Amino acid sequence: MSAIPAGRRPLSSSLTFRQKLSNWDYKFSPYLYVAPFFILFAILGAFPIVYTVNVSLYDWHLLKGQGDFVGLENYATTFTDPFFWNAFGNTISIFLFSAVPQLVMATIIAAVLDQAIRASTFWRMSILLPYVAAPVAVAVIFTQIFNQFGGPITGFTELLGLDPIRWGYDPTPAHIAIATMVNWRWTGYNALILLAAMQAIPRDVYESSALDGAGRIRRFWSITIPMIRPTMIFVIITATIGGLQIFTEPKLFDGQSNGGSNRQFQTIVLYLYEMAFPRRDFGRAAATAWILFLIIVLIGLINYSISRLIASQDISRSVRTPRRPTLTANGVRR
Amino acid sequence: MKLSRRTATVAALSATTSLALVLSGCASDGGGTGSDEKITLTITTFGTMGIDVNYAKYMEENPNIVIEATNLEDGGSARDDAYAKIAANTGLTDIVAIEEGWLSTIREVSHAFVDLRDYGIEDNKSDWLDWKYAQGTDADGRVFGAGLDIGPQGLCFRGDLFEAAGLPGDREGFAEAIGGDNATWESFFEFGQQYTAASGKPFYHNPSFFWNSFVNQQAEGYYKKDGETLNIKDNAALKAQMDLIVANSNIGAGLPGWGVAEQAKNDEFAVYVCPSWMLGVVSGYYDEGTTGSGWDFADVLPGGAANWGGAFLGVSESSEHKEEAAKLALWLAAPEQQAAAFEAAGPFPSTLKGQDLVKSSVNAFFNDAPVGEIFTNRAKGVVAQVKGAEDSVIQDNVFGAVFDRVSQGELTTGDAAWEAAMELLDQLVKQ
Repeated sequence: MSAIPAGRRPLSSSLTFRQKLSNWDYKFSPYLYVAPFFILFAILGAFPIVYTVNVSLYDWHLLKGQGDFVGLENYATTFTDPFFWNAFGNTISIFLFSAVPQLVMATIIAAVLDQAIRASTFWRMSILLPYVAAPVAVAVIFTQIFNQFGGPITGFTELLGLDPIRWGYDPTPAHIAIATMVNWRWTGYNALILLAAMQAIPRDVYESSALDGAGRIRRFWSITIPMIRPTMIFVIITATIGGLQIFTEPKLFDGQSNGGSNRQFQTIVLYLYEMAFPRRDFGRAAATAWILFLIIVLIGLINYSISRLIASQDISRSVRTPRRPTLTANGVRR
Repeated sequence: MKLSRRTATVAALSATTSLALVLSGCASDGGGTGSDEKITLTITTFGTMGIDVNYAKYMEENPNIVIEATNLEDGGSARDDAYAKIAANTGLTDIVAIEEGWLSTIREVSHAFVDLRDYGIEDNKSDWLDWKYAQGTDADGRVFGAGLDIGPQGLCFRGDLFEAAGLPGDREGFAEAIGGDNATWESFFEFGQQYTAASGKPFYHNPSFFWNSFVNQQAEGYYKKDGETLNIKDNAALKAQMDLIVANSNIGAGLPGWGVAEQAKNDEFAVYVCPSWMLGVVSGYYDEGTTGSGWDFADVLPGGAANWGGAFLGVSESSEHKEEAAKLALWLAAPEQQAAAFEAAGPFPSTLKGQDLVKSSVNAFFNDAPVGEIFTNRAKGVVAQVKGAEDSVIQDNVFGAVFDRVSQGELTTGDAAWEAAMELLDQLVKQ
């Protein structure tokens, strides 16, 4: 577009105004084009994040507003609060109960849909349907299904003559129930993303391996899994971020408390909510938000370094060591 | 578990979470009131308050007013909603219903609500019970809340189940069997033990209601009279009640405090502590218009009369139509409308005239019990307790949590339950 070569050449006064204009256009226009996003982000993203730091350094009552400056005391109190660590443990537990089965199921579903089946669009749309449902509606329905007092699952266990499972009271069953809601909603979504990655694998790789005598299972482990790794990493990272911020499902699982009467399924975000609203300690809620942010960054960094490690491996090596993909998944989960 | 607030998952009168009443505009079409501009007033309520039965009448009488109502499922949601909007300094509806359990917190930031004295509440001050009026007044004498209902308590009970177990099942007989005017919690639980022994069925659904009732019966509750000093540790009366409840947990059904419609129909409990507004909760467990369910209502409360809960209406300072909103709020809190709400859902009027209007009211669901007369008796001499800023946290997150564990059989001695409660108290409430 510009007659002036890109770059370093200092603007000289010998240039005409048109030339200067063209030069500025070349230099600054790209920034203007991306500016709307960053301006919006600054207002709606960056400012609240920075302001939260400010709030977290004060004794800040929800209704009465800003109090004394307390430095890092809100952080220290949060780190020594057993309820925070309880929420942390619950979050990790629900995350594991959801992310692991979800990714396994999503991969299997994607592999099935990757085959030549009839009405493939119908099946692909079907698995995405749960994702369309509003999370609140999903949570309400599952809360009924898992209702310890008279829900269908309790009715079934009674038929079998078993003691009813205390879904709303014992931590592990509650975590499983909540993870089920998450899985129901997200498995299809992840399966579609993985399916897209699988479809991008060149078919001739499969054909030549088939000629070499590799069966379906062998081809799945040795070709499909290694070749969808980058996408798998993406799915794992988004699942991690989503899983650590889980709120709607546990909040609605017992609408009257914030994660169970004895905090059996209180996640970090619910802990934050309890701190901010019923307990009205905005300073500590803000500190909790930052701690959660740091936890997510930390886990994200671990994911990132593992994904770099994997990306640098060449495929032929992976093909020779077909077990690696499962190790990858393990590594990231940690 | 929310104890200090009316809650109903299935409420006969608020079957929808959001109820928008929009007048069709027929009145103004005739041009009778002429140039008056339409004014939309928004109101947020919760649970089964019954005041919604009055909206249509108000809109009929005031054709320029359109009421847009939102009813939240329970007081806890209403509390969080109000807190968030006060903190944000925007978003409150013109009229906000406030529950007694978190009234003390609102009182600290009462500037978010208008002073109803500016709109003439003082002219009718003598309508209200003195203590109810005083509860809605802040330290500076501003009246930020107009009293709606109070929560005198009686006992809801299943007369048919008692009779089947060979125990007195009529309301006088049952009241007498647990000691009549001198009924104690001990004699009440003794009756329950007899019932369970004879019928093999649990007596009550969840122990926390007895706890809450008891706390409200004390001269001083979780806080001393100053509303600042905690009154829990070394409180022998509370500890004794804890011991008594835990010792009688064998006759409990281990159910949650609220939302037990199926279990009610399956006869899984036979008694329910009923503040006035609870009548709508219990009858809400059944289809509308149900009679002959076996439920009855007795003029008795172990340990003596006490108040549990009650609501107020505040007009938010951020309202664009303070004048009209205040007029509507005061109208809704006036005796006639309190009486209409009582007939619809049970919350007992906080005005003397309102109480007078309902004194001969009977409730068909509760075996035609003379509920107006009973609540008038139950309200005699009752004065609401001073609540502190953390009352609702102590209620839900300290004792509510402990009684859930008692109910599930995790804590089996009064000492263990008390110790667990004190541990939670230390964690949750700065002292």
